[in-house]
Amino acid sequence: MSTTAPFLSPELLAKLEKMELVSRKIFRGRMKGERRSRRKGQSVEFADFRSYVPGDDLRFIDWNSYARLERLFLKMFLEEEDLHFYAVIDASPSMDFGEPTKVHYAKQLAAALGFVALVRGDRVKIQALGRSAGLAAPVLRGRRSLWRMLDHLEGLPPGEITSLTDGLKHFCLQNSGKGIVVVISDLMHKDGFEAALRYLLAQDFDIYVVQVLSAEELDPELEGDLRLIDCEDGDVAEVTVTGPLLARYRQTLGALVGSVREFCNRRGITYLLARNQVPVEQLVTGYLRQRGLVR
Amino acid sequence: MLPQLVNPFAWWQWLVLAAVPPAIIALYFLKLKRRPVEVPSTYLWHKSIEDLHVNTVWQRLRRNLLLFLQLLVLLLVLWSVLQPGWQSEKLPGHRFIFLVDNSASMQATDVEPSRLAEAKRQAVDLIDQMESGDVGMVVSFNEAARVEQSFTDNRRQLRRAVDAIQPSVRSTSLAEALKVASGLANPPRISDPENELDFQVAEPQPATLVILSDGKFEEVSGLGLGNLDPVYRPIGSPDARNVGIVTMSVGRHETKSDQLQVFARLQNFSHQPASVTLELLLDQSPIDYDRPEIPAESSRSVAFDLKAIDLGRLHLRARTGDHLARDDEAWVVLHRPRQARVLLVTPGNPYLRIAMDTGMAAEIARVNEVAPAFLDGEQYRQQATIGAYDLVIYDRCQPGEMPRANTLFIGRLPPAGGWETGPEVPKPHVIDIDPAHPLTQWINLTSVVIADGTPLRPPPGGRVLIDSHLGPLLAIAPREGFEDAVLGFVLLDSRKDADGTLRRYLGTDWPRTRNGGFPNFMLNVLQYLGGGQAAAAEGSYRPGQQVPLENPVSGKPLAVRTPGGNVVELAETPSGRFSFTDTMELGIYETAVEGKAVGQFAVSLLDAAESDIATRPDIQIDRVPVQGNAAPEARRLDIWRGLLLGGLAVLLLEWYIYSRRVSM
Repeated sequence: MSTTAPFLSPELLAKLEKMELVSRKIFRGRMKGERRSRRKGQSVEFADFRSYVPGDDLRFIDWNSYARLERLFLKMFLEEEDLHFYAVIDASPSMDFGEPTKVHYAKQLAAALGFVALVRGDRVKIQALGRSAGLAAPVLRGRRSLWRMLDHLEGLPPGEITSLTDGLKHFCLQNSGKGIVVVISDLMHKDGFEAALRYLLAQDFDIYVVQVLSAEELDPELEGDLRLIDCEDGDVAEVTVTGPLLARYRQTLGALVGSVREFCNRRGITYLLARNQVPVEQLVTGYLRQRGLVR
Repeated sequence: MLPQLVNPFAWWQWLVLAAVPPAIIALYFLKLKRRPVEVPSTYLWHKSIEDLHVNTVWQRLRRNLLLFLQLLVLLLVLWSVLQPGWQSEKLPGHRFIFLVDNSASMQATDVEPSRLAEAKRQAVDLIDQMESGDVGMVVSFNEAARVEQSFTDNRRQLRRAVDAIQPSVRSTSLAEALKVASGLANPPRISDPENELDFQVAEPQPATLVILSDGKFEEVSGLGLGNLDPVYRPIGSPDARNVGIVTMSVGRHETKSDQLQVFARLQNFSHQPASVTLELLLDQSPIDYDRPEIPAESSRSVAFDLKAIDLGRLHLRARTGDHLARDDEAWVVLHRPRQARVLLVTPGNPYLRIAMDTGMAAEIARVNEVAPAFLDGEQYRQQATIGAYDLVIYDRCQPGEMPRANTLFIGRLPPAGGWETGPEVPKPHVIDIDPAHPLTQWINLTSVVIADGTPLRPPPGGRVLIDSHLGPLLAIAPREGFEDAVLGFVLLDSRKDADGTLRRYLGTDWPRTRNGGFPNFMLNVLQYLGGGQAAAAEGSYRPGQQVPLENPVSGKPLAVRTPGGNVVELAETPSGRFSFTDTMELGIYETAVEGKAVGQFAVSLLDAAESDIATRPDIQIDRVPVQGNAAPEARRLDIWRGLLLGGLAVLLLEWYIYSRRVSM
């Protein structure tokens, strides 16, 4: 496991610099950012006219129309705001598998997306799943926060062994604001994923689910009589691995992926299955671009 | 029925055996060493395995299915070690001869559906119980025995042979069947101690003789059973009810001699009185009926007047409601009176002429009397060759060649046929008369004086009918389809005295004796040898009996149509005489030449022995009593082989399940 590999290469950074996060929803940020807001305000982008009401800022009166119509109209501009970008990384022990490990892969992905957000002046929060993880995560803004972000990712505490549902529930409780949430997990949670994603849906987040699976999970290279021990709960499955059982496993995996995809599609969640073998660069510049997360 | 067990082990061996199942369980838990592998999540694996078995109870069972199967194998093996077996019947021995009675009485229905069917069922049961390596043979018997299947160990063939046994209407004779069976069990041996080549033709083969019969046969004697071990299985009930027609004949009415009368005797073989409705049918239309009550175990005679009827087929039918139907019917055929053509060659004999002139004799025979000189003529030769006469009587003369007719020689011998005679003896005294032969019925020679007699030596096949203390005086012998009778003394003779005058004298006082029955004798001669039928009724033949047939159109084949409608063609014979033996059906047989009906005869059961259908509980063979239903020897029907095989099958199943699991 080479977790020491840098999260972002200079080439990737160069590419990411030209990108920006796209939200399909227009959210209200807390600070003035580079994004249009639903709030009308001060920006160069014209939005609408409205009649003048005493007390309005005189600077926005459209004097040209007053000259023609002798009535006072107020020019309204779209306010530009920042965007909240959250990346929730499943850092449970199950993610610590694969080459590179799934959790490393997840961090890379979070770093790449976080960098895009930072460059555009968006608000970035990257945290692991867990009750306390959210509190420890810093809120970052601005390009210069890149190193802080990378440091934070480097030292991201391993997530508690918690269920996906609990983790996302706490995330929703701790982050009341709206914005883009990218959940990076293997979704291998025995209590399922549906309830967890429903918490996010209730918060009206723009949700992206990236399911990271290692090659070992997609194509297990196991054989013989085995005692499979779950690294999280120590659960044991005694199997005799043979061709038909592997086929059955792939079938089950396909069914799981299919059910997640269908669940997400029905609810406007963008879903992406990522193999840890596919470089993050390709994932961000290729697949996520196609999905519309970045442009 | 609980299986019987054999305990082959001591207690400590049982202890060792009892330790095996825990050992297997222990081994089962030890045997599978799985390599532990840490995986991110067993979530998908569990799901994959769960998909294979939804039911968790079964899943748990399945976890240990192999163990259960192994324990089952062990149980089956242990169980088979105990050699469990069922109590079953067994016939002793390894070679079986199944004698299945298919005589008429076996058609009784006191056991459903019939005794024969029951006998066949029991035979098949016994065949099924034969062990591998046992051989069996199936013989059906009535009057004659027939090997349905020779010795084989193929049980299917034996069953098929038993199934193929058909009912017959013949009487029963165990002796025939025993001869066949003992011929196989006791091979013949040449008993010459001097002869080096004296050896047993085949090894004597002891066999169990299973007799499936109702026991209605005469006791067999003089037939050593030898290696045969008889087992008698009585079929049917000793209380079977039956009323049968045991006699049916047609005769002259006692007072109105121009009328015919049907006589029948019915016998009740049951322990209860029976009421029978008798129906007499002429050519299938009823003409008379009677309702006799027959007391238990007794018989009753009935008579029907036929009045003007003298031609047709009489069918007597009894409605009895008993267990045997075949004896409730009898048939008789009425023929037109047929006169015998008789040639009497005599130098002159008033006694003969008087005897031939009686009303009865005149009715049954047309007698042509000629002098001995006629024998030299061309006419005689011609008539003798074509068989113009039924009977030729040679009184003190003999022909050059024997005619194609029955003959009676009085005081002379036939020129051919191997007859011999001793020297003439004076005053032979009659000591024996054969009363069973038709020729010598109703005659009495005890007080008859015979002057001189020549003792006869009939050729082989001949039969002495009247014997005297000095030798036979009347004998009869067959000759190419005819019969020759020779009387060894003359009735009347003429001899020249010393003075040269021809004097007649009596050779015997028989014709003059009041109760000697000489007219009866001559009537017998006309009826038996001449074939004259005054009664105009032909008695019924017995099933299987040989029926002599005469073809009125010589040189043409004769066709016989059986009651069942089968037509049997009889090849033509030079004499125009046939003998028909295929009389296995009851009813009226018709004969025809080129499609034209020429005659008919009847075959009826009329057999008191077969009608008496009460089953005998035991029989005697060669004065050795054979108990019926001799308790079949108990035997163990071992099932441990099956258990072992079952264990093997379970082992295979275990292997299959194991490999199926591995390949999942």
